[in-house]
Amino acid sequence: MLGKLAWRNMKRSARDYLVYILTMTVVTALMYAFNSLIFQNVLTGYFELEGMMEMMIGLATFFIVLIVAWLINYMVKFMLEKRSSEFGIYLLLGMKKKTVSRLYMRENLLLGGASFLLGILFGLLVQQVLMAVMFAMVRMEYHLSVSLNKWTILMTVLCYMGCYLLALFRCKRKFKKMNIHDLMNAKRRNEEIKEKREGAKRILFPLSVLFIFAFWTIFSMMNNAGEIALFLIGLVLTIYLFYMGISAWIICYVRKKGNGIYRGQNLFLLRQFASKVRTMQFTMGTLTALFTIALMGASVALMFSDYENTVLDDKFPFDVQVYSSQVQDDFADEIAVLKENTEPLDIYPYHIYTDQENQVNTWMLTHLRAWGAMYRNEDGSPDMAEIEEELKSGGTYCTYDTYMGLSDYNHLRQMLGREKAVLGAGEYLVQIKPRLADEVKDIGKDLKIADASGKGYLSCAGICSDPFSQDGHNGGDYVIIVPDEVLGRMQPYYSELAADIRGDAPGDLCRKLDDLTEEGERDFVGHAVPELAGNSCCGSDNIISYTADNLVRDNLIPEVKYMLASLIIPLFYIGLVFVCVAVTVLSVQQLSDSAKYKFRYDVLAKLGLERREIRHMILKQLAAYYLCPALFAIVISGKMILSMSKGFVVMTGVPVPSGTFFIKSIALFFGIYLVYYVVTYIGFRRNVEEMR
Amino acid sequence: MSNYIRVCDVEKYYGNGSNVTKAVDRVSFSVEKGEFVGVMGASGSGKTTLLNMLATIDRVTAGHIYYEDTDITELKEDALSEFRKSNLGFVFQEYNLLDTLTIEENIILALTLQGGKKKQIQEECEQMLRLLGIGDVREKFPYQVSGGQKQRCACARAMVNHPKLLLADEPTGALDSRSAQILLETFTNLNRTMGATILMVTHDAFSASYCSRILFLKDGRIFHELVRGQKSRKVFLQEILDVLSLTGGELSDAR
Repeated sequence: MLGKLAWRNMKRSARDYLVYILTMTVVTALMYAFNSLIFQNVLTGYFELEGMMEMMIGLATFFIVLIVAWLINYMVKFMLEKRSSEFGIYLLLGMKKKTVSRLYMRENLLLGGASFLLGILFGLLVQQVLMAVMFAMVRMEYHLSVSLNKWTILMTVLCYMGCYLLALFRCKRKFKKMNIHDLMNAKRRNEEIKEKREGAKRILFPLSVLFIFAFWTIFSMMNNAGEIALFLIGLVLTIYLFYMGISAWIICYVRKKGNGIYRGQNLFLLRQFASKVRTMQFTMGTLTALFTIALMGASVALMFSDYENTVLDDKFPFDVQVYSSQVQDDFADEIAVLKENTEPLDIYPYHIYTDQENQVNTWMLTHLRAWGAMYRNEDGSPDMAEIEEELKSGGTYCTYDTYMGLSDYNHLRQMLGREKAVLGAGEYLVQIKPRLADEVKDIGKDLKIADASGKGYLSCAGICSDPFSQDGHNGGDYVIIVPDEVLGRMQPYYSELAADIRGDAPGDLCRKLDDLTEEGERDFVGHAVPELAGNSCCGSDNIISYTADNLVRDNLIPEVKYMLASLIIPLFYIGLVFVCVAVTVLSVQQLSDSAKYKFRYDVLAKLGLERREIRHMILKQLAAYYLCPALFAIVISGKMILSMSKGFVVMTGVPVPSGTFFIKSIALFFGIYLVYYVVTYIGFRRNVEEMR
Repeated sequence: MSNYIRVCDVEKYYGNGSNVTKAVDRVSFSVEKGEFVGVMGASGSGKTTLLNMLATIDRVTAGHIYYEDTDITELKEDALSEFRKSNLGFVFQEYNLLDTLTIEENIILALTLQGGKKKQIQEECEQMLRLLGIGDVREKFPYQVSGGQKQRCACARAMVNHPKLLLADEPTGALDSRSAQILLETFTNLNRTMGATILMVTHDAFSASYCSRILFLKDGRIFHELVRGQKSRKVFLQEILDVLSLTGGELSDAR
């Protein structure tokens, strides 16, 4: 009997809470698909950094379980409240409290179970899409393979159950405390609007706006974890204060009889909005926080994905490039490996030279945007003490300036299929990273590079910003190209080897080259990395920078892409789930309100509002509920995302305006939003118009 | 026959085929301007159906209802809304106040939906609050005031736009006797001072005794009509009770 009742109630709840079930299905599908990256990752074994993806997904899963548990808990509590008088009747009929609570749990588990099964099915599809995207990212061919993996399912079940247990445990306690009278009255309680000290609470609104501005200013100045923690706590508090404030503000406005309330349906809309925000200010605050996190996550993910789409290919222009700190290194071992494993078209060893000065390095440190005023004194002159310290041990640039002979340069250009550069006897050329081209326009005016005789100076023939492997191989950020005879007064600084090979490099070429280095000189994934010996550097790239002795393009691009994917994918995962959870709460709230308070719209109809006008009003009312947390989140995150992406563009050289990421993530976010908004509007209208 | 409100051969059927219920069966009557008409009848006699049709929330199966020269049975949905907005006022048993608005705001909303000026709205609202004696609870929410006050607020909301007809469906149904009496006196007052035309549906003889004329409905038909004329309310009440006892209709406590 109990089972039958639970089944029937479940069916009824399913109709009422369709949006919730949809979301749970989507969440399960996402969980399954992303968990499959841990257990069924076909790419496992291809990349050295594979642990990272698993770790990041695990981390994301942790937050997602917490948030989904919150959603379930919210929904369970919400449904309990809506159906409390029904439970009161069960108790009145003599059912034991334990039985009623068990009935309710059973209903919820049935509901959860149904969406879980649906979700797994849907998840199989999402998984295929996800894998296809991943393979496309790392440039491998993907063959559709649908299979259920027991570990993936187990992990999904565990996550899902974790969510439910966390949620239902709290609900059970609530049940225990309730009595029949409370249950019968629970529904009535939330209709009461409490207005106390609104005048005082109103201050919170401008105050929270002020705080937001303050946070915007503080954001770019934060330095340590303590400050960031304080910042976050402050931000969350501000979000909650805002909602307290805004409803009080509206209530005061209405009470003061502001001009706005005398226009059309404004009075009704304002009051509706204020009372709704008042009763769910905590939920609204949480939703805003979720939206903010989702927006930031999506923006960061978009930044990285833009990077790999635009910058990454230029990072490794040569098929193979090898660095050696020893100037006498003839690369015999490396050449042997190359000859053994590939079909080399051209193998070219050469030297990078130095004049043991650091005028170019100093110029870079004092003029690039990335450093700001870090290496300048207050009067704008170079802070030589700081600069020397950095050049000696920082590793951004070599201790001394880096030069290359014109013939070496032209040979390398030829290898890349570019035209030869022409230099007059008294000229030099600045070869710079593409992203820095704009910043070094004036460098020629300041540099004084001695000619071959050491008596006169060379003049700057121009700046070349073709991609030229300048993360520590052909200099860090820059290399100065001089006529070969000028090299006579310089010394070789370190050795380089560039190779052009036919076709793609074999997958293990980079590893084979790395194996030539002694184990002690390799990093944690086995790549040989340069020692900090003064003649090695990595350039000013930040956020994403890849420095290694041996660069094999066909091996590295997929690997870096995989590494980036293990950041991008979990971030999208979190963003998607958070947005879905947040809009579900909004939707369910509105839909159940539309059923509970449909008399309001009935009254309005009796007061003479046309059906069209009522629909229009519902549209406006929903828009206010939906837009409020979203716009607020956009305002909060906007400044942070913009300054982050500005930094990102400066540091990585992604060739897009910094606002792009923000706009794209808002567009993505509003796509999902719109779907829920339309579904809610249709349901709302149906509920309201049903009675008439 | 007066030209104000005319109900001509109105019928309302529910169901279809062999299973037809005649809720209202060829009813005709008219209401004069400034009249306070009561419609009495037992449960299921069709009085609320009749009221709903007059209120334009329900459609007639056959017949016509004229408000002066307008035949509302011919109007389309949007025109009906417009008609309702400018010609009718409602008071229901369940108050039907908007719970998110204060007493005063409930009245203001009715005015703003008509689109008036701020000053004019404030004045009219003020006047209504005073007239119905709910000025001291204007700032309160419906849940904070008594049933009688709620119903008077509903009255004020209904009257504030000076409708052609005030429709009241069991307005005293949920009130205690004291509140009911105050409300009915308010109706009488509105009828006298503002010249409001009121049509009230009730099954309570005491409430009906405040009307100037009563139509008795049974099985969807008008079977009797009482006019108060110059009689005192007590005498009129007795007459009503006599009619009810004659027909075995429902008797509520005759206070």
